[in-house]
Amino acid sequence: MTEATLRSPLHELHRRLGARFTRFAGWEMPLHYGSVLAEHRAVRTSAGWFDVSHLGRFRWRGRGADAALRRLTCGRIPEPGRARYTMVLNERGGVVDDMIVWCLHTDDYLVQPNAANHERVMAMLAAEAPTAQRLDLRGDTVCLAVQGPDAPAVLERILGWAPRRFRTWVGQEGRILGAGTGYTGEAGGEIVCGPSDGERIAAELVEAGVQPCGLGARDTLRLEAGLPLWGNELDEDTTPLEAGLDFVVDFDRKFRGREALLEQRRNGVGKKLVGFVTAGRTIPRAGNRLRADGSEGWVTSGNFSPMLERGIGLGYLRPPTDSPIELETRGRWVPVERTEPPFVRAT
Amino acid sequence: MAEKSSHRPGNVPSTDQEEEMRTPEEFRYTEEHEWVLPVGDGRVRMGITDYAQDQLGDVVFVQLPETGSQVEKGAVIAEVESTKSVGEVYAPVSGTVVAVNEAVLDRPELINQDPYGDGWLIELETDDPIDQLLDAESYLQLIDRE
Repeated sequence: MTEATLRSPLHELHRRLGARFTRFAGWEMPLHYGSVLAEHRAVRTSAGWFDVSHLGRFRWRGRGADAALRRLTCGRIPEPGRARYTMVLNERGGVVDDMIVWCLHTDDYLVQPNAANHERVMAMLAAEAPTAQRLDLRGDTVCLAVQGPDAPAVLERILGWAPRRFRTWVGQEGRILGAGTGYTGEAGGEIVCGPSDGERIAAELVEAGVQPCGLGARDTLRLEAGLPLWGNELDEDTTPLEAGLDFVVDFDRKFRGREALLEQRRNGVGKKLVGFVTAGRTIPRAGNRLRADGSEGWVTSGNFSPMLERGIGLGYLRPPTDSPIELETRGRWVPVERTEPPFVRAT
Repeated sequence: MAEKSSHRPGNVPSTDQEEEMRTPEEFRYTEEHEWVLPVGDGRVRMGITDYAQDQLGDVVFVQLPETGSQVEKGAVIAEVESTKSVGEVYAPVSGTVVAVNEAVLDRPELINQDPYGDGWLIELETDDPIDQLLDAESYLQLIDRE
């Protein structure tokens, strides 16, 4: 790997805050600032902030922007002032990427793909609508997520904006963009702004005593919330129906991959995502095998749930079944308790 | 102790920042980051070092051997898992497991909070000499190189 490592404009601040760093999708980002568990609990009980500047993001606007999103993404297109979770599928219905699309104004969107798929999604949309304008924001903006029951109040104090679920915000004459989104299952929002505004906001969050959180807690929080991670639960060989994300798909219009999904709806899916909780502290890990009366399966994400203090996991069973599940761990098969995600609901 | 597997997103340990790690003089150490302390009657107590717990992060699961089991030096004797990875703990000497620290099964955070004290893992009865293991100074040099 000779690829250059990218860093957030806030890297120095993270270092001063005692961050331990990790590499993710070519970026060196904070893993934790001392304790994943403490950061996790702060988000569930009060508030935490994350630098997620590695996430993809680009502005997508002008003539044809809306039509391209309609052809390429499978979810409902957000109206102005709203953000929505959606996906780009391949012709087989497999998930090329999942993303949040913010509609700031008519025909003016902010698209937020996964870090690893930023370039690809940008190129796919551009190919659909050469007349639309795309503005790559990742190089010269930061993206911060503020999450937790106290997060809306904190953001209101700092920015004069109290995020509401899936509502967007254009602040400071357009210098700061926000949406009531996140990846933790808690209230709060995400903001995109220039590095100097980002430095200032991060400093104010630190000043306000909001816990800085790294990618370690981001992963345990999203898993507790039952949210899929592209590359684990979702990939090009997995459809949203298999992943239990039927609610995302807008069958009322044409989009890439629709025929394959309709076919699956008629004939059933070959595999289905399941959630489970282990007895005690046994921790399932991605790649562990699952089994259930006549079905075989595998774990796609597993970890320790800091709130339940038990192991939790997501995985697939093929073919789908409602029978009791067993997990292979350390060479032994143990029964696990099937649980419909989320494992933990917002406080 | 060695990290058997890492789990995304934390798959590369940091090289950026090393705090001062505790390596008490009275303990002996292994290259795999276990500590050993003689406790009399041919018994030694063992655990993982401050450096090891720091690298691992919050420990959330511990698996310990059965008392009475025989272990060979270098074999996997326990596992400690954090939210990001699984660490295998190796037997620093050959011998018989005579006690395990049940407290860490329910409170794995003891390993992070007090790796040389309340976070101990296992007591072994052994005939192996422990003065062949690393002393504090040699171990400190080893972790400085990592």
